[in-house]
Amino acid sequence: MLSLTHFMLLSGALFAIGVAGVFVNRRHALVLLMSLELILLAVNTNFIAASHYLQDLAGQAFALFVLTIAAAEIAIGLAIVVVVFRSRETIDAEDLSEVRG
Amino acid sequence: MAFQTLLFYLFGAVLLTAAVATVTLRNMVHAALSLILSFFTAAMLWMLLEAEFLSILLVLVYIGAVLVLFLFVVMMVERHTPTIHHRRNYRLVALAVAAVMAAELGAALVAPDFVPASAPSPAPLGHSNTQALGSVLYTDYALAFEAAAVALLVAIVGAIALTLRARPDHHRQNPAHQSRVRKQDRLRLTDGRSEPPC
Amino acid sequence: MDIPVLAQITVGAVGAGAVLAGLGVRVLSQKAATAITIAGVGVAFLASVALAWAYAQGSAPQTVTLYHWGPGGYGMKIGFLIDSLSVVMMVVVTLISLLVHVYSIGYMRGDSGYVRFFAYLSLFTLAMLLLVMADNFLLLFIGWEGVGLVSYLLIGFWYTRARAPSAGLKAFLVNRLGDFGFLLGMGALLAAAGSLDYSTVFAQSEALAQQLSPFSGLSMLSLICLFLFIGAMGKSAQVPLHVWLPDSMEGPTPISAMIHAATMVTAGIFMVARLSPLFEGSEVALNLILLIGGITAFSMGLIGLVANDIKQVIAYSTLSQLGYMTMALGASAYAASIFHLFTHAFFKALLFLAAGSVILAMHHGQDIRQMGGLGRRMPVTAATFAIGSLALVGMPGFAGFFSKESIIEALGHSDLLLAPTAHFLALAGVAVTALYSLRLWCYVFQGDPRSTEAGQAQEPDRTVTVPLVLLAALTLAAGFGVEAFLYGGLLGDALVVHSAHDTLARMAEHWSGMGGAILHGFTTPAIWLLGLSLLAGYFLYGKGYAAELAPAVSRLQSVLLQKFGFDVLYENWFVRAAHAVADACAHTGDQRTIDGLLVNGTARLTRRAAATLRLVQSGLLSHYALAMLLGLVAALGYLLLRG
Repeated sequence: MLSLTHFMLLSGALFAIGVAGVFVNRRHALVLLMSLELILLAVNTNFIAASHYLQDLAGQAFALFVLTIAAAEIAIGLAIVVVVFRSRETIDAEDLSEVRG
Repeated sequence: MAFQTLLFYLFGAVLLTAAVATVTLRNMVHAALSLILSFFTAAMLWMLLEAEFLSILLVLVYIGAVLVLFLFVVMMVERHTPTIHHRRNYRLVALAVAAVMAAELGAALVAPDFVPASAPSPAPLGHSNTQALGSVLYTDYALAFEAAAVALLVAIVGAIALTLRARPDHHRQNPAHQSRVRKQDRLRLTDGRSEPPC
Repeated sequence: MDIPVLAQITVGAVGAGAVLAGLGVRVLSQKAATAITIAGVGVAFLASVALAWAYAQGSAPQTVTLYHWGPGGYGMKIGFLIDSLSVVMMVVVTLISLLVHVYSIGYMRGDSGYVRFFAYLSLFTLAMLLLVMADNFLLLFIGWEGVGLVSYLLIGFWYTRARAPSAGLKAFLVNRLGDFGFLLGMGALLAAAGSLDYSTVFAQSEALAQQLSPFSGLSMLSLICLFLFIGAMGKSAQVPLHVWLPDSMEGPTPISAMIHAATMVTAGIFMVARLSPLFEGSEVALNLILLIGGITAFSMGLIGLVANDIKQVIAYSTLSQLGYMTMALGASAYAASIFHLFTHAFFKALLFLAAGSVILAMHHGQDIRQMGGLGRRMPVTAATFAIGSLALVGMPGFAGFFSKESIIEALGHSDLLLAPTAHFLALAGVAVTALYSLRLWCYVFQGDPRSTEAGQAQEPDRTVTVPLVLLAALTLAAGFGVEAFLYGGLLGDALVVHSAHDTLARMAEHWSGMGGAILHGFTTPAIWLLGLSLLAGYFLYGKGYAAELAPAVSRLQSVLLQKFGFDVLYENWFVRAAHAVADACAHTGDQRTIDGLLVNGTARLTRRAAATLRLVQSGLLSHYALAMLLGLVAALGYLLLRG
């Protein structure tokens, strides 16, 4: 018998993997973006599971908005990666520290 | 019911494996492909949750457009990316933080005041998830919907503006220039004799 | 014309002159400024005389309220109380002011600050008029501060000279001390009586006398009177707040004549007389007034014996005479005090202006040891100076005799505890006055010239000598006021005297007219003292025995030259303490706390905090992500623990 807890545990694990990915791959901008995608996926899964078990469509509507914003974020993020790559021939996030105080 | 549980565990295992692969694989093309796999399995799970519209949306739009764009960029960048050497290893920190986070999330789930709702009965046969979601989106969330659309538009314009560059070898039409053309710019009168051979 | 209109004309004319000359100080020519200010003061004088005429016919006291500028009932208003006392003061002020204005045309000729000087003179007259005409304490205080301010400006008039600015500052600060007492008195009065209006306050004087003041065994009335008298001590230069007056002689001589002899310094005397309904109710205050006046009259005269600056000698004489007026106040002989003020205004202004004439002739030399023999070269000055001096020493028949003799007699009739002491000091003061006056006369006008300037001295022109002659005539005439002032009830409507200390009424019992008074004068101890001391002075200064006597009294002389050490005392204690406090405030308070800790400290703190915080800004994406994550973990943990 599946319950909300099953799905929440799953998305929690997914979230944790995404977070760990941010740190494991902290220098590679593209993998960073992928980790962010995983985190957002976990969030969306959580929303949809809650929406299902609580029989409330608001969760799904919210998931749709999260998808929209995630798509926008990826578009801009990839554009930045491309621009950085063009001008510096690298996408190492640790080299991008001009804003250091 | 048992079948659905089976599917949940199957897809869940694939999802987590693919996710771990995404963040650990050295080859970035492989990592991107793993990401696509994890999104696919997530779409399956959403199907289990009766969110058919979002599930299909995730496959068609998100995987079809966004993640493929990802793949393009990965391929464009990957050849030039020098091998990454970690100056300092943060793996322990990463694992510790992730462990704390997972523990907290788990603790939230087993907390006594977390009473999960009982599983609802399956939707009737003729029920359309798309229709139901649409009726909510265009009524209750009309303003947020519009705002999301604007955000997407801004993102499109922004992405183009960021990556656009004038290339010297790029040929393009200039209508203003074209309409200003005079006869003598294009036409040269000769006396009709052939050019003398060189 | 009726009385309110005349009162407004008096103030308005002087005010217009002062404002026009003051605003036009850069554009007016000397002639225009002179014409404007003299016209203003002249009109005011005529209006005052008209008022005096009205009161001589027996007009009743009147209050003229022009403007309320505070809540009603507190007496915060611009209003005039026109009665015999204020009219007498108005006439004296405007007359002396007019004469000094005229005199200054000659004295200040060619000075670069000519227009400014006349503007100040008119402003002073205005402030003094407000002071004497006020019908409430607040307007009195405005005039009071106004004369203090102009006095400061005029003492420091020649601000490029070394000592003038500091003398002005000294006068201002010492007056401030007195004003502080005055303010305390006004505050106590407002708290106890609920109003600053004269009539309201006077009506409550008996109730105030019954009321016990906090923190002391005195009655409320005594406390108020003591505070107010501190103010009078500052303005009328009574010991120990007298130190500013001798130094104020740094100002131009017409100023010394007008402000520091005839008018401003009498403000304190006037104030006590005006407030007689209050002071009558407090024997404590009257006794203190007697003591302070006696000490001032005697000790300041002594210093006059050793001063060598012609103006300083006259200044100490002024202090001494102010002491007499103060004693008269203490003996409740307010009319005698005002009468002495009246005569003193004329003969002291005369003495100062004559001294100014001498100073002009000496090319601004003021040291009497450089003079000598000027009597032959400057007959008008010498004659008028002699008249002034005779009036000062109280020679029977001259103005000073009537006023000073009345005071001494009143002291003898007073029953107050300290009256015998004051009586003795007053008699001793007569002798001292005669000695220093004779010394001054001998040094300046007798003998042979002791410098080339003295040998070539010339009588100044008519703008100087005409006021001298006029003042000399007035000095001679002023004595005839004695009957009206003291026994004719001229001031009766303004002064209140309890029958228990009504010394003048006792004197009136054997008053037998002026001739009788002169005859009676020759039988009093004062006249014998005067004669003896004139004789002694003749031998000491006229025959030159003073030089032989000097070694024998050298210790006394040095004490006197030190002016009883008041200046040294103040310098060592108050000035140095004030400097120490100011230094402490400047170093610890301003430089360390404000500048160092607060101003620079803020900058330093910001810089250090920024230097520390910039380490957080590593510029590394992963660090920021970690920070966000830690925040998330912490927030989750908080929510979990909160349950």
